[in-house]
Amino acid sequence: MNRTKQKNLLDLVTYLLLIAGGVLMLGPFLWMVATSFKLPADQFTHTLIPNPATLENFRNLFSFDLNFPKLFLNSTIISLLTVIGQMLTCAMAAFCFAVVKFRGRGLLFTLLLVTLMIPEQVTLIPNFIIFKWLHLVGTSVPLWLPAFWGGAFGTFLLRQYFLTIPRELVDAARVDGASLWQIFWRIYLPLGKPALAALAIFTFQGAWNDLLHPLVYMPTVPNTTLTVGLAFFQTQLTLGGRFTVLMAGALLSILPLVVVFFFAQKQFIEGIALSGLKR
Amino acid sequence: MKKISFSLVIVALLLLTACGGQKAAGGTSGAPVKITYMEWGDPAELDVWKAIVSDFEAANPNITVDVQVSDWDSYWTKLKTLLAANSSPDVFAMDAPLYLDYQARGSLLNLQPYIDKNPGMLDGLFPITLEAYKTPQGYFGLPRDFQTIVVFYNKDMFDKAGVAYPKAGWTYDDLRATAKALTKDTKGDGTIDQFGYVIDPWDMEPGWSEIVWAYGGDIISADHTKTLVGEPKARQAWQFLYDMMHVDKSIPDPNTTSQYGGDLFLSGNAAMMAMGHWAVPSYSEATFKWDVVPMPTGPAGQATSVNSAGFVIGKDSAHPDAAFAFIKFVLSQAGQTRLAQMGFACPVLKSVAASPAFLQQKAQINNQIFIDSLAYAHMKPVFKGYDEWASVVGDGLTPVWNGEADLTTTLDKIVVDADAVLAKNK
Amino acid sequence: MDYGLKPLGREKLWLGVMLGPTLIGLVFGALGSILATLVLSFTHWDLLTPITPAGFSNYVALFTNPAYLKALINTFEFSAMYVPGVVIVSMFVAVLMDSKIRGISIFRTIYFLPAVTSAVATALVWNMIYGKDTGILNYYLSSLGFQTVCWLCTKNAMVSVVIVNIWGAIGEGMIIFLAGLTAIPSEYYEAASIDGANVFQVFFGITLPLVTPSIFFQTLISTINAFQAYDYIYMMTRQGQGDSSVPVVVFSIYRNAWNFFNYGGASAQAIELAVLVILLMGFYFWLERRYVVYE
Repeated sequence: MNRTKQKNLLDLVTYLLLIAGGVLMLGPFLWMVATSFKLPADQFTHTLIPNPATLENFRNLFSFDLNFPKLFLNSTIISLLTVIGQMLTCAMAAFCFAVVKFRGRGLLFTLLLVTLMIPEQVTLIPNFIIFKWLHLVGTSVPLWLPAFWGGAFGTFLLRQYFLTIPRELVDAARVDGASLWQIFWRIYLPLGKPALAALAIFTFQGAWNDLLHPLVYMPTVPNTTLTVGLAFFQTQLTLGGRFTVLMAGALLSILPLVVVFFFAQKQFIEGIALSGLKR
Repeated sequence: MKKISFSLVIVALLLLTACGGQKAAGGTSGAPVKITYMEWGDPAELDVWKAIVSDFEAANPNITVDVQVSDWDSYWTKLKTLLAANSSPDVFAMDAPLYLDYQARGSLLNLQPYIDKNPGMLDGLFPITLEAYKTPQGYFGLPRDFQTIVVFYNKDMFDKAGVAYPKAGWTYDDLRATAKALTKDTKGDGTIDQFGYVIDPWDMEPGWSEIVWAYGGDIISADHTKTLVGEPKARQAWQFLYDMMHVDKSIPDPNTTSQYGGDLFLSGNAAMMAMGHWAVPSYSEATFKWDVVPMPTGPAGQATSVNSAGFVIGKDSAHPDAAFAFIKFVLSQAGQTRLAQMGFACPVLKSVAASPAFLQQKAQINNQIFIDSLAYAHMKPVFKGYDEWASVVGDGLTPVWNGEADLTTTLDKIVVDADAVLAKNK
Repeated sequence: MDYGLKPLGREKLWLGVMLGPTLIGLVFGALGSILATLVLSFTHWDLLTPITPAGFSNYVALFTNPAYLKALINTFEFSAMYVPGVVIVSMFVAVLMDSKIRGISIFRTIYFLPAVTSAVATALVWNMIYGKDTGILNYYLSSLGFQTVCWLCTKNAMVSVVIVNIWGAIGEGMIIFLAGLTAIPSEYYEAASIDGANVFQVFFGITLPLVTPSIFFQTLISTINAFQAYDYIYMMTRQGQGDSSVPVVVFSIYRNAWNFFNYGGASAQAIELAVLVILLMGFYFWLERRYVVYE
């Protein structure tokens, strides 16, 4: 009885804290939403409810011949391929680094991490020259192909998670005669779902919001991504002070990300039930 | 095993290239050719360029033009990446001050032989707009449109304060007095929230070059070796701006400007602003009435700045003839008329500048002033190392404008640093 | 950490298959461009004309250019505030989120929103929040009778941009910690609950030690992000078309590479940045060996 009471109290405190934090997190975002429904003349008013509310900014956005459906499709394909590539190759590599013993493991892992340290501004040109040499500039291939080459961030993220999976499971499976691949496929992948979900969110978002690479590798609208298409407005809208239209564009471009996130985060269910696993 | 995976990837790559790669057709004469035109701009400009291209393609059935437009910052990143990888677009847009950075490095095609084949081609253009592209070897670029700087003013704000509108022939002292009269603390909270005049003190173009010239000063020497912004006459101009900012407080300092997030004139927080024609389309949606007036007169007369956007052809373009034909078309009556209707800039072709296409636009202002300003305009300097030089000067002065550093000593130091940039780019 | 399964017989092949893509990526992608950056850092290259050797001059410039040194100091100052901020706040948020209360998906999504919003829109909204008259923060401050604050003035700009950067990073940090928290076997909590442990005992006794792998990961990634942060910073504090009032190293790299025709110098700055992060990383790995609890 007492415990239920304590639990309820705890839930209440959690709610209060989450709501307070939520206001801080959501506030600027709500303002963005509000601004996107305001008339340009009202963009600096302090009200959160647009008065009058208007769809003019969205109409304004679509009035240009940018072929939004095409941009949206390009972004979706590139982002999905990136997610698939990263999940697959990073999970395999992370499993090797976390579970398998092989020579040069430490060195290789360190080298991998070092690749995170160089800002992309300077690696852009060497990479571009490689893809030009492969005759892939002007296509979307340079945007998603590297995802199938593994990646330091995803490998590191999954390795950290895999390391926390109890080793007894591996030892028990080994005794039963399971191969490396079986251990990876039957134990680590299913148990790694939360981390894989996190990686999926990150890579989808990273690919979706990437501005630099689609800009350089792909031609112009509509044969580019939605992010590049919207960035196209930004300079002029910012300089011209048409923030309402800019906010409308930003709002549209993040909707898919919100949907992806909402479904992926359901994988963050609480704790592994050890007993259930041991069978 | 490394070898196995590698050959797998190579096979995969070959398959992908086979599916996705489309080789451009060879460029023999008569056969259809495709050229790329790259420029900075926004979606509205893209629409205009598409119209120009379709006119051009109708007149030149065997040439197709692929227009690639990106925003300003992205444009330069993309352009330089393409140039570094030897994949230059055929025709690309150039901001005149940066022109020599590309021309001197041999990235551009000499257009002189093509111009010579088209005698009289440049006759109808405003001569001063051609200046920037002249080199001892001839033209490596041509202007597409130009910008002069004028003063925009908010009529409603003048009416409300009972101040007379500025008139052509006014002086910098008039500007200062007017600005002072319009600087107000409208909310009564002890801080100024309406400024008489606003400039971007970082940038010479709608910032400080006009007043430096009006005071008889100059920016850099003709041979591009000496920075002149520290000379006595220029210093008088700097002091004038400094006093408006820190004595009258009629010009907001950069810290204050940054708190407004955007354009103070458009948001109704500034009565006057030095600006170019590029602001006209977005200001045409302003909620207040406004107009333009020529730059004021200083001790050495009236002065403004003229700058142009131009085009150039990549040195290794496979289709220079088609590329030049496109440039020629944009400079023609038809091309210039379409560009003028876009409303961002002034046409370089005199006949179009005098036509209704330019003079009667959506915004009901006196567009003639932008053209008349050419009479006393100085060319925005064009020299190698412009971007870095401008940053040394602009970034160097920011602490002065923010009231954190002394004007005189800062200028002394800036001149040394800026001369070092010029020496490096010799 | 010398634990590991030994591949048996033909399993070596499997190991090759699983590591293959990563190895290819390393050899042909990442390491290649790092090597290229390293080589370029000893050259003068303006991107347009042939590369010429520069010896150590690009590196000498790192120590003699006061503007660059200022950017370097700012980068450190920024990281010193940003990294602990992100790690602590996002862990705290994740712990709150790791409960079964109703509507938790909505809360998680709300907290994640800032992480996905485009940088330009975010910077603009925060500019409006921090603004002088237009700013909602000062609006409330003054209506509550407080003195208004110049949030983006030179002296306050650093703290203001750190706040925005942390705000934008909480969502991602939260995900890392949420994933990490799920790996804690629920039996541990049940046992603690039977023993009558209170919330704090549970947090410090179970959650904190078992979430150290995520703390380690998040600290390292936040450090890298901090050293490479520039988009919000420069969008919020850029002065005209010039430098930011809080100049940082990556923006200096950007300008040197793309505006100043100085790709060699930009490469040297990038290498220096990488070396600094690698040194920090070494320190973190030393800490990891001492404090991080796996399994």
